[in-house]
Amino acid sequence: MQRALLEIALVAVLGGVLGAWIVLRRLAFFSHAVATATFPGLVLADAWSVAAQVPALGSGLASAALTERLSTARPRSPDAATALVLVAFLAAGVILASDVFESGAGVDRLLFGSILAVSERDLQITAVAAVGLVALSAACRRSWLAAGFDADTAGPLGVDARRGDLLLLLAVAVATVVAVDAIGSLLAAALFVLPAAAARLLTTRVGSLQAAAVALALLQGVAGLWLAYELDVPPGPVIAVLGGALVALAGLAAALRSRL
Amino acid sequence: MSALVSTASLGGGYRPGQHAIEDVSFEAAGGELVAILGPNGGGKTTLFRALLGTLPIVEGRCELSGRPSYVPQTERSRLDFPVSALDVALMGGYAATPWYRRVSAAARRRARAALDRVDLGGHAGHTFGELSGGQRQRVLIARALTQDADILLLDEPFSGVDHASATHIERVFEELAREGRTLLVATHDIEQARRADQVLCLNRRQVAYGPPGETLGVDVLKRTYGDEMIVIAPGVQAIAVEHHEH
Repeated sequence: MQRALLEIALVAVLGGVLGAWIVLRRLAFFSHAVATATFPGLVLADAWSVAAQVPALGSGLASAALTERLSTARPRSPDAATALVLVAFLAAGVILASDVFESGAGVDRLLFGSILAVSERDLQITAVAAVGLVALSAACRRSWLAAGFDADTAGPLGVDARRGDLLLLLAVAVATVVAVDAIGSLLAAALFVLPAAAARLLTTRVGSLQAAAVALALLQGVAGLWLAYELDVPPGPVIAVLGGALVALAGLAAALRSRL
Repeated sequence: MSALVSTASLGGGYRPGQHAIEDVSFEAAGGELVAILGPNGGGKTTLFRALLGTLPIVEGRCELSGRPSYVPQTERSRLDFPVSALDVALMGGYAATPWYRRVSAAARRRARAALDRVDLGGHAGHTFGELSGGQRQRVLIARALTQDADILLLDEPFSGVDHASATHIERVFEELAREGRTLLVATHDIEQARRADQVLCLNRRQVAYGPPGETLGVDVLKRTYGDEMIVIAPGVQAIAVEHHEH
């Protein structure tokens, strides 16, 4: 349980810090697609009994690269490209799980997470990724800010927006992959989108958005874990439901504030 | 004063074989305000991209003897982005800041002074998207001032701007020109162009370049605007009718 708490805390910090950029840069669908696209990699790792992160990362990054490539092809349609890749990778994972490796009951665990079963090694990988990605986020802050505010003028301001955007996509891909063992490939968005979406409704600056997103993600993760333990249900879905509730409450608070 | 901007047979575009501008040759000295006059789609923004080196395909010669800064139209920015006026002005200090350093105290002072200069010192903490169109335009000019640019490329700075802001912006332009900076101001407003030192008439290719008294004749304007122009009193006054794409 202690390991699970630490794992969810690390993922929550990542979810808050990167989630702020995911929401600001409108990458929610992309982050969901990359997390879902780790599924074939997870099935392979499960069947071969190897560390899940490596094939999941391979699968997630391949989907991110493919999405990026298809998004820039004419006619440009990034959402359609993301949907195409999401469906293709999910279908490949289902075929691998049902017909090639006959993964059976393990599929649920891969799709919805198994935080109570995280190993010491999973925890170490998440910790290293969290430190690295939070540092990357700090280093790229100005680039992501200028490009998000106005991509056309970022270059003349001395910002390499293209490199910054690729690093952001890479960071989102790596972060969602390391979160998959905690909340599963289908629910990763619960910690990477929902807390930041709730925080976005309550804040007016990037710094406060990130701080609020981290706090809400921690609250959501820890409370979800505790509730799941008390109710004897899988933690991933409980964390996701709590995330939805937080967004609803934040929306209500923002609406009340605007009336005052 | 020597030329800060100099082009010869400058052309270019976004795709091979499809030039958006052609044959642009002009020189602008420090202290000059040059109006880039032309219809929508006439190549004003493309010319700026060519000058900034961000146009994919460029032919001909283009030399800038100073630091350029681009001031876009405010509606191109994300108005829902959670940044203050000071945050935006501070972006002008990014180029001089290595990625591993914080923006320097000197750049912060410059950004605050720039906001003071456009009369928005009291709005530094306001959210950019909540300011009026004219105030947002002034914040973007402050960002260019934080960059300490010698050459300012201003894309339709008076578009959608209230009268008070327009007057203030014109006053700031005069001050900046007096400091020896070159200002290239894209506009489709002929009356605005009459107040410039030089006018570059552009409709995909250069129609004319020179002082307003020499360039803003009905003949040149007809070639610049084509069907978009109405002559009210032949030889005396002409206005351009703007066609917006929705």
